[in-house]
Amino acid sequence: MRSCGRSEAIDASTRHPSRIGAGGARRHARTLVLACAAVSLLVVSACSSSGGSGTQNGKQVVTFANWADAEQNTQPGIEAMIKEFEKENPNITVKSLPISYTDIEHQLVLQVQSGNTPDVAELQGNYTFSLQATGALQSLDSYANGSYQQSVIPQELQLGNIDGQLVAIPWTVAPFALWYNKKVMAQAGLDPKPPATWDELLTDLAAIHQKAPKIIAFGTDSTNRTYGLDQNWPVMKSFGGVPFDGKDPSADTQAMKDYLNFMRTVASKGYTPPNKKGGFFRQPAASDQVAFTIDGPYVKGVVQSTSHVSDAQFYQTWGIAPLPSGSDGKHYSAPTDHQLVMFSKAKNKDAAWKFMQFLSTSDYAIQNYTLKYENSLPPLQTPTGEIAKELDNPISQAFKTDVIPTVIRPNWGTAYDNAYSDVMTGVQSAMTSSSSIDSIASHISSALKNDLGG
Amino acid sequence: MSVTLTPAPPTETTVEAAPPRRKWPIGRSVVIVIVALFLVWTLWPIYWMVSTSLKPAKEATNLNPTIWPHTLTGANYRELFGSSLPFGNYLVNSIVTALISAVVAVVISTLAGYSFSRGGYKLNGTTSIVVLATQMLPLVVLIGPLYLLLLKAHLLNTYLGLVIGYTSFAIPFGAWMMKGFIDGIPREIEEAARVDGYSRLGILVRVVVPMSVPGLVTTAVFVFMNTWNNLLYPLTLVTSNTKQTLPPGLQQSFSGTFKTDYGGLMAASLITSLPLIIAFFLVQRSMVRGMTAGALAGT
Amino acid sequence: MTLPALLILALVIGYPIVRAVIISFYHYPLLNPQHNFIGADNYRRLVDDPVFWQSLQNTAIYTGVSVVGAMLMGLVLALATENLQGPWRFFRGVLLTPWAVPVIVVAFLFQFMFEDTGGITNDLLLRLHIIDSAIPWLSSSQWSLAAVIIANIWSQAPFFLLIFTAALGGVPVEVTEAARIDRASTWSMIALIKLPYLRSAAVVGALLMIIQNFNNFPLIWAMTEGGPAYSSTTLVIYVYRLAFTSFNLGYASAIGVVWLVLLLMISAAFIRVLRGKTS
Repeated sequence: MRSCGRSEAIDASTRHPSRIGAGGARRHARTLVLACAAVSLLVVSACSSSGGSGTQNGKQVVTFANWADAEQNTQPGIEAMIKEFEKENPNITVKSLPISYTDIEHQLVLQVQSGNTPDVAELQGNYTFSLQATGALQSLDSYANGSYQQSVIPQELQLGNIDGQLVAIPWTVAPFALWYNKKVMAQAGLDPKPPATWDELLTDLAAIHQKAPKIIAFGTDSTNRTYGLDQNWPVMKSFGGVPFDGKDPSADTQAMKDYLNFMRTVASKGYTPPNKKGGFFRQPAASDQVAFTIDGPYVKGVVQSTSHVSDAQFYQTWGIAPLPSGSDGKHYSAPTDHQLVMFSKAKNKDAAWKFMQFLSTSDYAIQNYTLKYENSLPPLQTPTGEIAKELDNPISQAFKTDVIPTVIRPNWGTAYDNAYSDVMTGVQSAMTSSSSIDSIASHISSALKNDLGG
Repeated sequence: MSVTLTPAPPTETTVEAAPPRRKWPIGRSVVIVIVALFLVWTLWPIYWMVSTSLKPAKEATNLNPTIWPHTLTGANYRELFGSSLPFGNYLVNSIVTALISAVVAVVISTLAGYSFSRGGYKLNGTTSIVVLATQMLPLVVLIGPLYLLLLKAHLLNTYLGLVIGYTSFAIPFGAWMMKGFIDGIPREIEEAARVDGYSRLGILVRVVVPMSVPGLVTTAVFVFMNTWNNLLYPLTLVTSNTKQTLPPGLQQSFSGTFKTDYGGLMAASLITSLPLIIAFFLVQRSMVRGMTAGALAGT
Repeated sequence: MTLPALLILALVIGYPIVRAVIISFYHYPLLNPQHNFIGADNYRRLVDDPVFWQSLQNTAIYTGVSVVGAMLMGLVLALATENLQGPWRFFRGVLLTPWAVPVIVVAFLFQFMFEDTGGITNDLLLRLHIIDSAIPWLSSSQWSLAAVIIANIWSQAPFFLLIFTAALGGVPVEVTEAARIDRASTWSMIALIKLPYLRSAAVVGALLMIIQNFNNFPLIWAMTEGGPAYSSTTLVIYVYRLAFTSFNLGYASAIGVVWLVLLLMISAAFIRVLRGKTS
């Protein structure tokens, strides 16, 4: 582009030595033509470098937008998955489009807007609902046939069902649980049993904080993102409240105030640093500097890769329990599951479905990815063979029997994208400011009224 | 104001050629204390970055930080280039796009600045504001439409798309700086060259450009650094991991969903900073002169 | 060559601006293909939006304190290092290095240093008995903006050192010599002779940095994401959230337009100051 532009400039200026920038009409026309030529050249050169979907070398191409391939920890795993799938299906090529977790939602929304969607995508939580709202997702009802449906935990399949339509299938199953460090608890003179209620947790936290003030007594995600609200939703629920229901704010209630008071207590007493991502606590957890943390099954992988402890040692130190309950004794959790969706513009839908199914339920993918890299549970109803053996450990068992049944779905939907920030900034205010809880609750409520109504 | 500031005698010669003067106009000790204090303020974070990058993961996130690493390890660096993470790609992409953007922006800015300076256009207050306005556009708002524009031109995920995005918003300011600089070059020199039979472009290339090296360097460094720092553009305009540049690459790889790996992050940060620090050291003298004549005289 | 380049430029800059202005008059949720023209509703909403006003206030504090702080620091350093000789001049180079550290790296680095527990800043301050208990730098509404500003000043002071050094080089030798012969004291030399020469450098530098700080997304986003609550949310963060996590492009664009007008007014004022001095 520069070389052709420059030659033009040279002869133009030699012919009109005294008038740069102001030439005759003929020259203007020539410049325009050259400009257009330059632009189209750019376009052509760019086109040739970006391949379209459809077919390539006679193979069906499936494009796969995901963040697994954008993160250091999971990248080798997902690449191995694609390789294996292509080996098993020599007529299909999978093209991975790595997009970070934080950006994948808006990237995909922009891509929907521009009519340029991938075929398959990895999504989580409200992302699935946002994308469904754009109308770009393919209903999977006709693909998820009897044998697939039967192999999957019904509750997990239900999570991908929006308004009576299956639009997402579970890939990795990972609900929130309360992780507790038995070593730290014992050091603080506590019986290393998980607290069953929030009050019991507070008592334990006080003991730990007094004994070892530098240790992070309690890890909880209080960031202002949808994931932050996802994690806090079951906590709010166990206090008996939810911040909004459909289009109605319900934040100004005693239950929500109890929850906010709890959050204020854990922050103001120094049990937890506010505005931290859940993932932040995993690394210090590796050196036993965290006592309790609310997290999905991911803790194990990070702890082991950092501190190189064996499985046996890990289970000796860490245990999990359902999130504590409030006064009514009920436990709740929310999913952080990674789901798979197909876009209705996908060219090779059968191939795309095959790939989704491979990731979700194939033995190879579960053993070599879901368990190994994500440290999550497979969505299988009744795992057998090697997988069953690998799941035969206290953490996986507790997830399956104690935690998964407590999973509820936060009030996801398009309103959630507008509302999460109102709620989480309120939570952060409760944790970090001195305004009264009453005023914070009514503040959340009025902000929600604005955002949910509009 | 160009009258007051230009032509600027180069800083160095002023100092060296000046008649004997007291060496330390402000009390020597005051100067030493100030400089020492600010050296600590400047260097401490950099030291912390280097030392953290040399600590094993467990030590890097220890709640009782060790000021001097107890165990030195190169693991964080090995992981950067040894693992499947395309860190090398990020580095190459950043260097390539930043260099191309700097060169393109400087060439166009010089041409534009030259015609502004000599072409009889008067850059009055309004034009200055318009030029500045391009610098103050809320890029966050523009990024959506820009995305669609580049998408239609099939320029997403290409170096070219990034370069066009980067340079478009850099050129107006670059031209403004170059104009200020070229204003300081006496017209008589050009007249002499014209008498010798040089064409307008010949004058530009053989006379003006050699005399504006500090200005060119300053403009280039500005564009290079803005490009190197840009997070928003590549975040939105690049969707393929292997085409990504360093800032989003860093963000995605190290503060992802799994953990915050400060050791690795600091190693990557250091690698990201080094080319700039070195480049900056090499050109800072030119930049001081370029600033004098360009940015400061441009209005 | 200039013309085709300018054409592409006009397209790349112009199209998004026009689009943004148009979108600001629409209810434009990205998730929904239906976009309704709603006139000035987005602008009316803005007036009653407490978050907008808080973001505006934060932007003013963030920009103002950063620019003034960095400028003062740059000024002191430029005067202190003005007459460094020979190898000592190396130190000025060292003092300039933070400017070459990418903003995103500054963000990660200071986030790491400002951790409540385990962060080196608190650790050192506690060890030196400057503070009694850890300061919640990034995790309290009172401190978060301050922490972000400190990081920002660290990163931007060298810019002012650079331009003040350049401007000091422009002080005519005869002037300083004449003052010296009159036995002017160091302080009156600085205050009466040198500072007036630095005025335009200060104005131009301040303007550039004000503009840059309005747009400074990576630093705050990587350090606090605008939190806790809205305590470190500046306009750029708020707009980003509206556009890319709430997908409310219409309202985001309206704020963008207001922001552009605001900056134009500031620059006009600055340029008036400059011209007033010249004429």
